[in-house]
Amino acid sequence: MAVDIPKSFAGLPATETKWVGRGVNRVEDPGLLTGRTEFVDNLVKPGMVHCAILRSPYAHARVISIDASKAEQLPGVVAVVSGEDARRWSNPAQTMPEGWGCYCLVVDKARFVGEPVAAVAAVNRYVAEDALELIDVEYEPLPVVAEAAAAAEAGGPLIFEDKPSNVMYQRVFNWGDVDAALARADHVFSESFRWHRLGANPMETFGVIAEWNPVDQSAVFQGSFQSQSHMGLGRAAVLGLPSHKVKMISQPHGGSFGGKGGFRGCDIAVLLSRKCGGRPVKYIEDRMEYLLAGASQAWDRHYQASLAVDNDGKVLALDVKLLDDLGATAEGFGAVSAAKPLAAFTGPYAIEVARYDLTLVATNKLPASPYRGMGPPPHNFVIEQLMDIAARELGLDAAEIRRRNYIPPEAFPYTIASGNEYDSGRYEAALDKVLEMSDYAGLRAEQARAREQGRYLGIGIASTIEPGVFDWNAYAIVGLPSTGVPEGVSVGIDILGKIYVKVGFSLEGQGQYTLACQLLADYFGVDISDIAVVYQDSHSAPPHFGPGGSRLGVAMTGAILGAAQLLKEKLIAMAAALMQTDAANLRMLDGMIGIEGVPEAQMHSAQVAATMLARSDLLPPGMDPNPECTYVWTAPGRTPADEEGRAKSYLTAANACHVVCVEVDPDTAMVEILSYYIADDCGTRLNPATVEGMTQGGVAQGVGAALLEEYVYDEEGQLLTSTFMDYLLPTINEVPMTQKAALVTPSPFTPLGAKGVGEGAIHTTPAAIMCAINDALAPLGVRAREVPASPNRLWKLMQEAKAG
Amino acid sequence: MTMQQVVKVTVNGVSYERNVEVRLTLADFLRVELGLTGTHVGCEHGVCGACTVLMNGRSVRSCLMLAVQADGAEIMTVEGLADDGRLHPIQQAFMEEHGLQCGFCTPGFLMAVYELLGSNPDPSDEEIRESLGGQICRCTGYQSIMRSVKSAAAKLAGARV
Amino acid sequence: MKAPVFEYAAPQSVEEALSLLGACQGESKIIAGGQSLMPLLNMRLARPDLLVDIGRIAGLDYIRDADGGLAIGAMTRQSDIERSALVAQRQPMLAAGTRFIAHPQIRNRGTIGGSISHADPAAVYPALAVALDMQIEVAGPAGHRSVDAADFFITYLTTALEPDEILVELRLPGFPPRAGWSFKEVSRRHGDFALAGVAATMEVDSSGVCSFARIVLFGVAAVPLRVEAAEQLLLGSKVEQSLFEEAGAMTSDTLDEPLSDIHASADYRRHLAGVLTRRALAEAAGRAA
Repeated sequence: MAVDIPKSFAGLPATETKWVGRGVNRVEDPGLLTGRTEFVDNLVKPGMVHCAILRSPYAHARVISIDASKAEQLPGVVAVVSGEDARRWSNPAQTMPEGWGCYCLVVDKARFVGEPVAAVAAVNRYVAEDALELIDVEYEPLPVVAEAAAAAEAGGPLIFEDKPSNVMYQRVFNWGDVDAALARADHVFSESFRWHRLGANPMETFGVIAEWNPVDQSAVFQGSFQSQSHMGLGRAAVLGLPSHKVKMISQPHGGSFGGKGGFRGCDIAVLLSRKCGGRPVKYIEDRMEYLLAGASQAWDRHYQASLAVDNDGKVLALDVKLLDDLGATAEGFGAVSAAKPLAAFTGPYAIEVARYDLTLVATNKLPASPYRGMGPPPHNFVIEQLMDIAARELGLDAAEIRRRNYIPPEAFPYTIASGNEYDSGRYEAALDKVLEMSDYAGLRAEQARAREQGRYLGIGIASTIEPGVFDWNAYAIVGLPSTGVPEGVSVGIDILGKIYVKVGFSLEGQGQYTLACQLLADYFGVDISDIAVVYQDSHSAPPHFGPGGSRLGVAMTGAILGAAQLLKEKLIAMAAALMQTDAANLRMLDGMIGIEGVPEAQMHSAQVAATMLARSDLLPPGMDPNPECTYVWTAPGRTPADEEGRAKSYLTAANACHVVCVEVDPDTAMVEILSYYIADDCGTRLNPATVEGMTQGGVAQGVGAALLEEYVYDEEGQLLTSTFMDYLLPTINEVPMTQKAALVTPSPFTPLGAKGVGEGAIHTTPAAIMCAINDALAPLGVRAREVPASPNRLWKLMQEAKAG
Repeated sequence: MTMQQVVKVTVNGVSYERNVEVRLTLADFLRVELGLTGTHVGCEHGVCGACTVLMNGRSVRSCLMLAVQADGAEIMTVEGLADDGRLHPIQQAFMEEHGLQCGFCTPGFLMAVYELLGSNPDPSDEEIRESLGGQICRCTGYQSIMRSVKSAAAKLAGARV
Repeated sequence: MKAPVFEYAAPQSVEEALSLLGACQGESKIIAGGQSLMPLLNMRLARPDLLVDIGRIAGLDYIRDADGGLAIGAMTRQSDIERSALVAQRQPMLAAGTRFIAHPQIRNRGTIGGSISHADPAAVYPALAVALDMQIEVAGPAGHRSVDAADFFITYLTTALEPDEILVELRLPGFPPRAGWSFKEVSRRHGDFALAGVAATMEVDSSGVCSFARIVLFGVAAVPLRVEAAEQLLLGSKVEQSLFEEAGAMTSDTLDEPLSDIHASADYRRHLAGVLTRRALAEAAGRAA
């Protein structure tokens, strides 16, 4: 049966939409607000014991011996596992690039501080931590590779001895003749940049309850999984189990932002469960474990980049060289973050020629993980600094150089140099909107006055693309062969007329269950409270991925509307039999199925569904009695990557333009954000309140990235920021209350015209703030090239300027 | 001197008595001993504020207290806000203004706001910032929280009239 | 992050607490508000054999008039100091400085005695103790003794308190009615420990000449630091911007080895100390009647 997903609200079988497109109250909230939502740490299972993990104090050290006999004798301790158990019962982690993984517990040597060495299960976490202190480990420290540049050099210590070097990956992608463009251009502006490690830090750390079934040799994991099926496949590979022997149950979880992690946590917990005969083992990562050894760190980058520009400000080419420090192993999928910029390599600009010289290296730091945005935020920072450098050198305004280079609205769909296709957008309109909102001319006048008084006021403009609806093909260059990311749901009506939708993901914060209810309420003409969203585990749900890569809002809308259409057609077929007419004469509107032009010939869809379930004698020949349909959506038109990594990958290209005004204290170098304006366009807004929340949340994380957040390691590979006293998350005092305006340019390719928006403003905010800081410092003739722009760094820079 | 001690507390109006290890934090006592899992633990070193509860009317970090220190105290947790499923005006305001996303930090915010509005029915932006500066939310970016607090203040003022 | 095993006692009196401390064979630790100690316990960085909870001792929680000044019980919560009308009247800088301590939820538990005993070099109260000439009243096995704040702070997290002693009271003179004050700090975020801070007081005579000055830095050295050279410079000089600038520069110069960490280098701290001193002196002079 052909499924035709509506591309606008007008395509829904509703006289008018009452729910979708409005900022309705979320169905998730009553449970969350009353403390009733079951996060994994709330769960207690019969016989459950608690896991604590002993971690390497060295960044690089051979483990000579482990003696856990005293720990095993401590009252309350149930089991202890170490590398021997991992070797016996599991495999090394699968990685991208391939072959850079290790066992969940150290079997030969520790490769980063915090790497798990042994683990204890005990009656409670207090006793488990007591037991850790009784485990004697003898280490032989090895030379530490602490710096990316040193890691890339030949002849140093090797992190994986079976590899010729610490270089995990090296390739140059040429999209057009960059050297020719550089030679031809009137100007080439080059600069180096440094983006320091930062990361997700959801307020809930990772947690799991693992249960090994010794009878049928299977495992069940119940925990805070961003993508249960993805996680489950990885666990099956590590445990050497067939996929149907690993079940994942995803609890509602307290945020993820890509950085929930938990691979090793799952694996260690299930080894402990196996060792103690199948008792459930709960492992709740604590905050220091998360900061030290969780999925907490991303984007440790050294950039050298050039922009080829003509005298009129037209950009001819972008040349980016990236050295990315992925840490000790590739288990955290940090490489994906280096590949994703291909989806929007040249930002919102019509730059036809580009080059990406990419090197990924291993060091003795925590393996890098994903984080919201998945790589483009640092890349955008680089592009936007280069745009400003060019503007300053050419005497153009920051707004003007961007205006001259935007992809024009009539050029869509537009294929960028790195191969992806942007669906639609009105970039100049977004710029104009934000300039108007911010009274840009007024801001510039204020800046001029401030400069006369010796104050460093700066205005930053940043324009970016947010690639939405990720596709595996976007990461082909680092080893992912798939095209398409299926998302499936089942929609049905129960015998008493209530609608349900079965999904393969749990609550994470983006309000997806609310969106499911909005869509179905309008589709079937019922109240939002008449719909139940039913979570299904990895074995029960149709093929699914869940949230990630700004995809789920669009993908689940496609899946739900597809399943709803199939259900509608089935109900119409049933109604046709009941009304003794041809199905072609019937249509459904606001939940009523009727014969067009015959007002009295009407049946409610719920009544039709109930009849299917209760009156098998009335079913038409060949129809099963189940008023439930499943549809699995995947983005249309995606293509496998070519030899230069080019693919139609992310389906949508949302865009945003931010204007921010900052003041840098000339004496203390402290940065204050004075005002912040946003114009963005993610197509149709399915729930405007949720979109607003995604945007503002991204601003907060962007402020953290630009000014506060940084993982600092010393030369011995010791992490110096292992608490929230030193890893600084933004609070209500640091985050600006922004003014926002929405442009709506629906995507021609997506369900209801929506574009992915879940990664929000983190794509733009760090770039905008850094542009503003550099605008503020421009009179001094210095450039902040390191993120975060901490006061310590800015002060040093300002001192250098004064020293001349 | 002891390593185990009886703790008697009143939580949300209900009296409890448990014999616990003296090293048990108040947060773990509420969650594990009493099964009141609405109070969440985010950092266990007093920075994130997720575990904030009211003790004798004042907001405190339940991860930075031993349960034995709370012996004899009156405690209020997020479970004490709603009345038989009817949301408290502060909770209602957070729902209407989308003052939460993942909701993990929310119980701590609600308790801090409860204390604030109890002593200051019409707080300024600055006063809201001051009372919530120790509560970290990683999702919302605080703007909707700011709106929620103002809306809650208005709702409570309306209820008093 | 769960605390190690320890013994716990909650004495009812100072005498009982002293005898517990005296009898303890291993390491004992006093817990007051616990806002610094509890993280250390949860991280297992503090590992006492005995934890003595002085929170159950009656009569250590008060703010009283004492000869025109203040007597503050060691267990007085920071939020009570922040809200006290008596403190605001007698020692406005104490009230103002209190608001720089972390956040309300921490101040609701944290105590003045605990903070001063803990002696974090970047904390507010140790600096105010020195700036405001607090007398630190200590109970010990041999009876009470009184320590000048100037002699109390030995080094990083180390004070003149012996392991068997308890800080019981802070005594402050009243703030001179014509004096001005200023409390300033730079921190990464609102409520964080200061990268550098200054508590300054000043008296200015009718001819505009400085007749008293006190400058105390915190967050820059192992203990709160009086900048006597700059104080001397101010004394007898006409208060004006150039004087404050000179005093600020002198303050920077007197710091030979400021603290250095990931948030602020020694040079940056030295610089901040000078800037903050300059700004604080200008504000204090402006407030001086």
